This record gives sequence, C-alpha cells and structure tokens, in this order.
Amino acid sequence: MHGLVLTLWIANVVLDTAGQLAFKAAAGDGRAGDGLARWRYMFARPWIWTGIACYVAEFVVWIAFLSLVPLSEGVLLGSINIVAVMVAGRILFREKLSPLRVTGILLVAAGVAIVGVGS
Amino acid sequence: MKRFYLVGFALLLAFDSLNLVCFKMAGTHALPVETSVAWLGRVFSHPWIYGAVAGYVGAFVTWMSLLKHAPIGPAFAASHLEVVSVMLLSWWLFAEPVTPVQIAGAVAILAGIACLAIAEGDAEVEPDAVTA
Repeated sequence: MHGLVLTLWIANVVLDTAGQLAFKAAAGDGRAGDGLARWRYMFARPWIWTGIACYVAEFVVWIAFLSLVPLSEGVLLGSINIVAVMVAGRILFREKLSPLRVTGILLVAAGVAIVGVGS
Repeated sequence: MKRFYLVGFALLLAFDSLNLVCFKMAGTHALPVETSVAWLGRVFSHPWIYGAVAGYVGAFVTWMSLLKHAPIGPAFAASHLEVVSVMLLSWWLFAEPVTPVQIAGAVAILAGIACLAIAEGDAEVEPDAVTA
C-alpha cells in the first residue's frame, strides 16, 4: 500500500470512529429528554454536528480511497472500523465487553472482511 | 428493551435498503455518467434520488434513537447486517452474482449478530456503565 492510500485509509478509520463516538455522545446524553425536545437539545449542542462533520469528511475520503483501491478491498479494510469503534466505546463510555459481545463483534468484523475478499 | 432493539434495527435495515435501491435506480436512470450539470439534472429529475435522501434521513433518525440506549461498540457492529441485506437485494433485484465466499461472510455476520442479541439478553441483568 503506498503512502496516499495508507493516509486515506487511516483518515477513514479515524473519521468513522470519531463520528460514531460523537453520535453516541449526543444520543446518550440523559438530560436531553424525549421526542422533539430531545432533537432540539441535541441540535443545540456540538456533538451531533461533530458527528455530521466527520461523516461528510469521511464521505469525501472514502470516494478518494475507492478511486485508488478496488471496492472489495475497501470493504475488507472497512471491517477494521468495527473493532476500532468497539475499543473506543470501551475506553470512552466504559461499555462492558463480555466474552459473548467480543465474540459477536469479531464475528461480524470477520464476516465483513470475508464478503470483501469474496467479491 | 428487546422490542426497542428489534424494531430499531429492523427500521434501520429498511431505511438503509431503501437508500441503496433508490441510489442504484437513480444512477441507472441517469446514465451515462458524466461530470456535468446535465447528468446532475438527470439524477434529480427522477423521483429515485428523493427516495435515497429519505432513506438517509430515516436511517439517521433511527440510529440516533437506537443510540439513546444501545452501547456504540455492539450497535455499530450489528448495523453491518446491512452488508447481508445489500447482498440479497442486489442479487434479487439487480441479478448481481453472489459468490460462495460472500455467503460464508454473510453467515459469519449473522452468527455474530446472534451472539450480540444473546449477550444483550444477559446485559439486561447487568447494564453498562451510565454514559451521561
């Protein structure tokens, strides 16, 4: 993998993970209430906008990445994001990682990678 | 909570599939692909692109509702059920080939999600640390 591809891939993992964590931070805020009030609360704070900004940037990075790498390899490398989000959720939100949860997440990540290899 | 996750992920899958199928149809109707205003005009003159946008919005609202309770690690993994539905839909609607290796991958994804569903049943007794 040459430099630009590697850079774009790392940017994709970082933006995807950061975006998901920002969305969780926005959605998991217990003070937000329910219904429409919850949406007003979320949109008045930076987390949801951080998540949206990460996704817009990720979209651009992903298009650039796929212009250099075949889609199947893109899907394969995308499975790393699943593990990255799992680790980040553990560190930042103290999410419980029971053996069954880890098994499930790793199986999904492996499955996504296999689909990438097989296409 | 079981019902909440079941309905949430079913809706997410439905919106993701709507998005995908509409995007594919929008692209097909706007052929040939050009980097021109004419091509963009063709894309936006068919109703398909608006279905794709509706899919995006619906999926976003559903995802943010799921994350109110769902831990991000397992939920993000489970959202990759979309990979399986995309495979089935592209085979069924667009007659795109599915390889045996891809089927093996799909089985692994489904097995993983089954583990997460069982783990979630256990987690109800012993919930995650409160994130707020």
